[in-house]
Amino acid sequence: MTVRQAPYETALKPYGKALVDLAERRADIVCLSADLTRQTETDLFRDRFPERFFNAGMAEANLMGMAAGMARAGLIPYVNTFAVFCTRRPFDQVAMSIAYPCSKVRIVGFMPGLSSPGGPSHQAIDDLALMRVLPNMTVIDIADAGETAQVVEAIADIDGPVYLRLKRGEIPVIFGPSYRFSLDRAAVVRPGGDVVVCASGMMLTPALKASDAAASVSINVGVVYVPVIKPIDAGTVIQAAAAAKGVVTAENHSIIGGLGSAVAEVLAEAGVATKLRRVGVEDRFATAGSRPYLFREYGLSSGRILERIWELMGCDTPPPSVNEVETETGGAFEPV
Amino acid sequence: MPPTIDLTDVPTKARITAVELVGSVGLGYLGQVLSSAELMTATLGDLVRPYTDRFILSPAHYVTAVYAVGAELGLLDRKELIHYGIDGAALETIGSERTPLVDFTCGSLAQGLSVGIGYALADRLAGTGARTAVFASDGEMEEGQTWEAALFAAHHRLDTITVVLDCNNSQVDGAVSMVTTVEPVSAKWEAFGWEAVEVDGHDLEAVLGALHVDRGGKPLIIVGRSDPTAGLNAIAGLDDAHFITLGPDLVNELIVELKGRL
Repeated sequence: MTVRQAPYETALKPYGKALVDLAERRADIVCLSADLTRQTETDLFRDRFPERFFNAGMAEANLMGMAAGMARAGLIPYVNTFAVFCTRRPFDQVAMSIAYPCSKVRIVGFMPGLSSPGGPSHQAIDDLALMRVLPNMTVIDIADAGETAQVVEAIADIDGPVYLRLKRGEIPVIFGPSYRFSLDRAAVVRPGGDVVVCASGMMLTPALKASDAAASVSINVGVVYVPVIKPIDAGTVIQAAAAAKGVVTAENHSIIGGLGSAVAEVLAEAGVATKLRRVGVEDRFATAGSRPYLFREYGLSSGRILERIWELMGCDTPPPSVNEVETETGGAFEPV
Repeated sequence: MPPTIDLTDVPTKARITAVELVGSVGLGYLGQVLSSAELMTATLGDLVRPYTDRFILSPAHYVTAVYAVGAELGLLDRKELIHYGIDGAALETIGSERTPLVDFTCGSLAQGLSVGIGYALADRLAGTGARTAVFASDGEMEEGQTWEAALFAAHHRLDTITVVLDCNNSQVDGAVSMVTTVEPVSAKWEAFGWEAVEVDGHDLEAVLGALHVDRGGKPLIIVGRSDPTAGLNAIAGLDDAHFITLGPDLVNELIVELKGRL
């Protein structure tokens, strides 16, 4: 697989553009917003297809119920708001009106994990866990601007609800043009490895950087990109882990309930006797702050991944120091 | 439903059926059928055109009323009723995804109107001309989602939506009026931009008439004032009308009294 080198080029609003493209081809695609239209890139949809765009206002319980009704009537609603407001806040409505009836609603949650500077009210550190526990729900946490367009189309016809979490604004272009997103298969980005890092979403690039840094001191670290958290590609995870001395998971989310838990379940049930370390938000609420500060402070970093690799390898010497991956050019405080 | 069908005796017959059904299990949501029989008869017998319109049952524990009225109207095969409340059967005592006759049922309360709005928006987009009927209960007005949905429906002038609200003043902890003040009900909905019509929920002609008022381009709510004992002496003054224990003697008393009304 072709992976570009940091610093990555970025693309702007790849989701909003992809949704418009999909709607150009399909009349059954509708778009719902909740007073966060520009922030979810759906101003593009609103301006192109006003008759298929519905703004629920700040009323997420009603938002989810409306989407459920539209899906039952044969439409395919893409529901867009911040990740905290489409998972925590209307959880019962998502569970009972969408997941239980297996409605074809696509819930798109923006500002995942600590990518929001807005503090705990805006930081979705539990959205993957909340959505993963719901029967029928597909859960996806992607990394790359180019794959965004592929995902928007790939989820359209899944016969059930989908939760897709997306970073806002500038999205790095990580993969080469030959990359194909798969709903079924995790991507082995760096094969083999004394230790394997399973990463999703915004933690893919720190994982790649950690792998590069380890290679500089002759430690081979495999990287498996797992964008689909549920249903997880157990086969690829098991195959990669079985040959390694240890596994590290890396996610922009609590270490409880998301990718780390999903990988732990897979390995334990398969009897893969490999040690596991989970990199993510360590069971605590964060604070307001810039994205680079929060990722550094709460351990969403190449450095933390390397520390865990070194633990698993039983190395006596400290890991090499790394400069953390930066993709944002701005960094201005913009909670909404 | 052919317009010629006489609905007059449907509510009383449905109540008899419901007493038999709930009696067969020994306990259950009978008060809801007793309070809503006329409202449900008008909803299924007049408002909702089979295979054309949408019917959403927001309080899923009212589903026995759907079975009982549905059987009287010929919408549900009466033979199916023997499966009521049997483990593994589709006729569950609280509505579910398997429930016949309803397009969407919502056991977690107050979710129905939002789903109805979704249907109405989809039907408006497709130009189907379908109506959306949402059956709801007064206790659901305690949930915030009700008012989120009420705001949205009025703002978008979704005049294909009709809410039939059973105001039986009964919830788990007792009278709704004791738990909280939801009154003035009609004035609240009117203030949210709805057309509201107050009726005696046990006056079938009044309920049927209310369904056809000029709604002025607005969503319509029928506020049906009702009694979860339906004036039956056998259960007069019942403390807990929300969930009734029903032994064989009480079943017989209720059926005798109800048959006297036919």
